[in-house]
Amino acid sequence: MSIPSASSQNPALDNEGAVKRFFRATEIDTRMLGMIAALVLIWCIFDVWSGLHLHNNLVGEWFQGVISGSDGLLGGTFLTPRNIWTLLVQTSSIAVMASGMVLLIVMRQLDLSVGSMLSLVAVASGVLQVYQLGPSLGVGHPAIWLLAIALCLVLGTGIGAVNGTLTAYAKIPAFIVTLGGLIAYKGIAFYLASGETVAPMDQRFEVFGGGVQQSWLGPFWSWMLGLLVCAGIIFAIVNGRRQRRRFNFPLRPVWAEVFLGLMGSAIVLGLTNVMNSYPWPYNLIANYAKDHNVTIPPGVENRDGNAICMAGDQIVHCTNGLIYYTGYSLPVLVALGVGIVMSFIAARTSFGRYIYATGGNPEAAELSGINTKWLTVKVFALMGLLVGISSVISSARLNAATNALGASNELYVIAATVIGGTSLAGGVGTIYGAMLGALVMQSIISGMSLLNLPAAYQDIVVGGVLVLAVWLDQIYSRRVK
Amino acid sequence: MAKSVKKSPVKKPVARKAAKPAVIETHESPAVVKGAEPHAPTKANGTPLVEMKDISIAFGGIKAVDHASIDLYPGEVVGLLGHNGAGKSTLIKILSGAYKRDHGQIFVNGQEVTIANPRDAKAQGIETIYQTLALADNVDAAANLYLGRELKTPLGTLDDVAMEAETRKVMHRLNPNFRRFKEPVSKLSGGQRQSVAIARAIHFNARILIMDEPTAALGPQETAQVGELIKQLKAEGLGIFLISHDLHDVFDLSDRLVVMKNGKVVGTARTSDVTHDDVLGMIIAGKCPKGAIPGPGAMKQVA
Amino acid sequence: MKNILKAVLAGAMLATAMGGTAAMAKGKTIAVSWKTFQEERWKGDEATIKAAVEAAGDKYISADAQGSAQKQAADIEGLIAQKPDVIMVVAFDSDAILPSIKKISDAGIKSIAYDVQFEDPNALYITFDNVGVGRIMAKEILKAKPEGNYAFIKGDKGDPNATFLFQGQMEVLKAAMDAGKIKNVCETFTDGWKPDNAQKNMEQCLTSTKNKVDAVLSENDGMASGVVAALKAQGLAGQVPVSGQDGDLAAINRVALGTQTVSVWKDTAQLGKAAADAAVAMAEGTAIDKLPGVAKFNGGKKKVEMNSILLAPTPITKANIGDAIKAGHITKDQACAGVKDGVDACK
Repeated sequence: MSIPSASSQNPALDNEGAVKRFFRATEIDTRMLGMIAALVLIWCIFDVWSGLHLHNNLVGEWFQGVISGSDGLLGGTFLTPRNIWTLLVQTSSIAVMASGMVLLIVMRQLDLSVGSMLSLVAVASGVLQVYQLGPSLGVGHPAIWLLAIALCLVLGTGIGAVNGTLTAYAKIPAFIVTLGGLIAYKGIAFYLASGETVAPMDQRFEVFGGGVQQSWLGPFWSWMLGLLVCAGIIFAIVNGRRQRRRFNFPLRPVWAEVFLGLMGSAIVLGLTNVMNSYPWPYNLIANYAKDHNVTIPPGVENRDGNAICMAGDQIVHCTNGLIYYTGYSLPVLVALGVGIVMSFIAARTSFGRYIYATGGNPEAAELSGINTKWLTVKVFALMGLLVGISSVISSARLNAATNALGASNELYVIAATVIGGTSLAGGVGTIYGAMLGALVMQSIISGMSLLNLPAAYQDIVVGGVLVLAVWLDQIYSRRVK
Repeated sequence: MAKSVKKSPVKKPVARKAAKPAVIETHESPAVVKGAEPHAPTKANGTPLVEMKDISIAFGGIKAVDHASIDLYPGEVVGLLGHNGAGKSTLIKILSGAYKRDHGQIFVNGQEVTIANPRDAKAQGIETIYQTLALADNVDAAANLYLGRELKTPLGTLDDVAMEAETRKVMHRLNPNFRRFKEPVSKLSGGQRQSVAIARAIHFNARILIMDEPTAALGPQETAQVGELIKQLKAEGLGIFLISHDLHDVFDLSDRLVVMKNGKVVGTARTSDVTHDDVLGMIIAGKCPKGAIPGPGAMKQVA
Repeated sequence: MKNILKAVLAGAMLATAMGGTAAMAKGKTIAVSWKTFQEERWKGDEATIKAAVEAAGDKYISADAQGSAQKQAADIEGLIAQKPDVIMVVAFDSDAILPSIKKISDAGIKSIAYDVQFEDPNALYITFDNVGVGRIMAKEILKAKPEGNYAFIKGDKGDPNATFLFQGQMEVLKAAMDAGKIKNVCETFTDGWKPDNAQKNMEQCLTSTKNKVDAVLSENDGMASGVVAALKAQGLAGQVPVSGQDGDLAAINRVALGTQTVSVWKDTAQLGKAAADAAVAMAEGTAIDKLPGVAKFNGGKKKVEMNSILLAPTPITKANIGDAIKAGHITKDQACAGVKDGVDACK
């Protein structure tokens, strides 16, 4: 039996346009491309807008700013390494939860309780750290952060499993189970700490929030990690090609493979470069130099410089001098890691396959011998585990745990998932889509906050974008069909 | 399918990997079945492949199946006929594990078995092609084919390439024109989807095949294709329950007929012993003709 | 079976209610209609008021509206039926409550608006001076940083208190702003008063100003925790003064650590005591405008002039942390966790 080659598979394909052929050959998800385009557009708008804001709406001065390159890419404050770096940290908690929400929604379930669950888990771990372990083991004991994180993960998974069990075995609709959870978990969170804000977190625990220098990877390791990921991308492409050749399947054209490899690597290295261009805040460099006896070079003061130097016996800002860069921060690495693992689970394990099949046709899945009830429990438990991870990130970032933490997060998580192309009818959705959706949403919120626009506008725009995204998605789906 | 199948005792179905292509290569075209004369419809001696004895099930007080007994021998096609609601689909769903019976026994190869869910049925080599196709529309043909029993790499991850390779082979045999392996099955035509469903049923060591209205969604050409396939599978020694509204189909393909009415078996007959009119009488009035063995549902004065 | 149970329960409730009425015969009776006990603080307020009323030899009765304006109206009718001398009301909805207040005065009973204002000229309004809280915050921050770039992290846009606080701050800062010494560089409302939103807003403020922020007026302690986390990530915590209010335990600890400048503390025990004392005096016939500390207040939505007692809140700063510890509001261990030097109360 011979397998025809890709080009002769369908004679009509030879007549299609170059653009169409390009997308077919590279198998790039055009829907994702659309989302990235939207993201880039949003970023550019905010950068120009904030640039004009910065120069008091004087177009000429703004234009000079663009040329001099002293500000963001388009003269503003949005497309600066600092803002992109902060944006990613701000997105990480929601993105982690969105990656689990995708699988739930794909399976035609829903978890409305994630926000309250996050409060509950965060407060519980805060109480454990500050009120229990701190006094008994001594503040700063190295076991505290491990126990606190273990509690977050175990508690999150457990609550998720309860949600799942009630949904699957007691046959209560997930909407009701988790709506009840939304209300009840919030109450438990309040009860645990009597509504108090619990602070400060353990010092090692705080590293997971990305706010302290111990949670920054630094340029060297960031580059190493970036290169490692590039190697992974190339390996995946080569391996995929070898596999397909083993079975004599049609192969992608070589140029398409090369393009994908280069594109993937360029994105990874570009991101790494941006992360490595964000310098440590001035005071942290100075403190670090003082604590580690680093000599600060002499130099000329420049108020806008990111480095530090000695002007006489004064430490000042300057352009050339002592400078450190942050590189990737831990919460972002955690979120990216979760994204990779979750994508792997969704695409390459039978667990993931069952989730999609169940979402596509629950009856068929059941008749195929899949234990859909147990599967439901597992997916809810996985959602809970991810909420546990998010609760570590957000409480570490705030360096405090309160029952207000996580409030209304369920709305943002579901919105991110839906903006990312997940269909509420089930069966369709991707992890990277949801995480990009979270980034789109956070970009809008952060951008408007950067422009000092009132919070009410942020709500209006985010709500509008949600509806618009679903509408565009439907138009797109109809046209593809 | 390999002949050895029908002799093999109850065992877990294992997807044939490397060994399989050799067998498949001999079936280039579904229309030609080499080396296999269609079996004469004998009421085979020996143990039946499946025997369902005295099965009953009720839904909320309504007896959907009422003390029904049927059997099936290797290499035999048994047509199951009756009105909508006569209980044939329900009876068959008990065999495939979708419903749990209230009463009665199921024997496979003479041994009593427990079938409590679809996994149990599959473990007995019982595969079902449902009227509603039962495909997960959002995933591709290979994913559907292997749903619930995926091939894994040594690392425990899905071996998509191997699954696609196997799917290409089995689909080539059923439907040589099929090429859309990468698309979700929702984008396929009715006939293509049906071939995926059939491929899924026969790909794993099925010994007993249940086909619930397999041609309901198909055009004439595709219907003929399915007919050929049934003959081919029968020649390979599978036992097939065929549920259909279409009397022509049933007469063409079945060796025996079982007619049900109001949850009860009206009668059983060899296809060659009865006419279309006889069978219509059984379906409509519950009248059991000569040449048929009456069941508990037959009209009393005739029996 | 169920009906029998219901009948028994109803009987028991009736008996309890009758018992309450019977005991009312001697002494004065002070009634309180609470809006909810869902928030922790109100239980504390109730304990204080109950203790103060009973210490004066009077009787305390109450009803919990469980966060419903409708239930509160029914509650008040029930309380009126028990013929108390004064009814104190924590209104769930300050407009919807007005017909009930009218019923109270029609029945010849005196009313007190406790902590939440309703605008009825015959009632006494007793609360902390919210505009004053804003003023105190601004004064303390101004003391620490007389000039520079100020960021304003305001509370939820739907809460009038957020605006009251900002008003108070502006009263104090206006002169310095007009003189160009103080510049408002960021001003944002914070959805739901949430600390994590405050953190994000502060991060964006620092990004847009390139860290050129010299002081932050955060309207409460929860948000201050977010502000301090954002400052800490830029190595600015402890250098930029930050305000807050509520006397949160974590905030008092931050004050001791030096990362927060002030937490304005409204001691609700003080408020409850003042309200109970006023109620007891009113029950004994003291005219409202003759009560100690009463002043005219017309800062409400409809500008109705009312008699009011506005308590001054306490600013907790490094200098007086010892007072909060002495008052039993916080333990020394909690206040001083991680404090190395420079705070007298922690020695």
